[in-house]
Amino acid sequence: MMYYLLLPLLSLLVIALQTVLADIIFLGRLAIEISFIVVIYAGFRLDLAKGALLAFVFGFVLDCLTSPVIGLFTVIYILAFLCSFILSFILDIEKIHFIALFGFLCALIKEIFVIIFCNLVLNFDTVMNIPVICLPQAIIIGLLTPLFFYLMRRLEVFLWKTVSPY
Amino acid sequence: MFFFRNYKSLILVALIFIFALIMLSYNVKYDKGEGFFRKIVLEAVAPFQSFSHFIVKSVDDSWERYVTLVGLVEKNKQLTKTIHELKAELLIYKEGYLEAKRLGTLLALRESLDYASVAARVIAKKQTALSKTIVIDKGSFDGLRTDMPVVAPPGLVGRLINVSWNVSKVLLITDENSNVDAILHRTRVQGIFSGAGLHEGKLKYITKNQDVIRGDTIISSGMGGVFPKGLLIGQVKNVEKHDKELFLKIDVTPFVDFSKLEEVLVLVSEEKEGKQK
Repeated sequence: MMYYLLLPLLSLLVIALQTVLADIIFLGRLAIEISFIVVIYAGFRLDLAKGALLAFVFGFVLDCLTSPVIGLFTVIYILAFLCSFILSFILDIEKIHFIALFGFLCALIKEIFVIIFCNLVLNFDTVMNIPVICLPQAIIIGLLTPLFFYLMRRLEVFLWKTVSPY
Repeated sequence: MFFFRNYKSLILVALIFIFALIMLSYNVKYDKGEGFFRKIVLEAVAPFQSFSHFIVKSVDDSWERYVTLVGLVEKNKQLTKTIHELKAELLIYKEGYLEAKRLGTLLALRESLDYASVAARVIAKKQTALSKTIVIDKGSFDGLRTDMPVVAPPGLVGRLINVSWNVSKVLLITDENSNVDAILHRTRVQGIFSGAGLHEGKLKYITKNQDVIRGDTIISSGMGGVFPKGLLIGQVKNVEKHDKELFLKIDVTPFVDFSKLEEVLVLVSEEKEGKQK
């Protein structure tokens, strides 16, 4: 129960943190989507209901803050979570290269999906952003995903003296 | 019921996803950016964004200040360099101005004299205990000869003692070996002006009964055939009368400041008709 109560607060904190970091490091030109990495991580570590709810909340909060239309990131995050969840049955979390590659591909697909959506539905001409923004952001997520996984694993070991029981 | 219990999570996820899709499609059509949840989230994140803005602004300001400082250092270096260059340039102009001023005085002197003259630049000075001479950059090729008088504003400097093709040596009137036939301008009493060391001279052979006072002007007498008459030599600085001696002891300060000599005139002939260089 505590998980469900803390989830909105956690999502706010994570998204605020990623906004602050992006502002400080890239002066707001690029985003560091820690929330997206959290969703991918949730796909590997949480059960279906908890993870889906987390993806929903994170996506919704991000939508409220940055999306041109509410629901876009919610849908994408849920899809990303489901992909991670399915992949978690065949991909070992210890294989750091695959995790990085998966994070990169997920992020790239997500960015391209957003651009296509904006182009087709909202008539925003943002195709030029693919090499300038999408690719660097996908690379950043690809690099940060293994690091995040490693840190979370350390945290789990620190908290429960072993890997999370989830 | 069994199906629902087994696939509870799956159904929940499907419902969440469908809800998200409905939310998306609804908002695509009707969202005007004024949703209740959007407002709540914006309010909740605002303090963090404000903090991040503060951090970013601080970093940005610091960076800008740093860049400005780096720019200022460069600019300072450039300006310092420019100042040095301008100072050097100013010095050249000042030198030119002073030279023009000196040459103007020299020219005035040249005009005032009834002699043809050659202007020369002092290229060396030798003012030791035994010898007080200067070297000028004109010689026999310019028509100079030994014993020609040398003047500079406002009066007599000396005479040529060695003349080479392009340079000449001038014996200053302050040299102990220099003697100039002179007269006191006020009383017309005649004597011999001799050098007496650095920037000093003596007027010799003036009998005790002569009227000589401090401040009297001494000019060349024109006798002896070396120096023309009327050239300013110096001013009486001190007069002493000793009972045991026949003559007055008169100390003279030359008019010309030998320490600042840079250009001189060599009087080449008594007539002004000759070619002046």
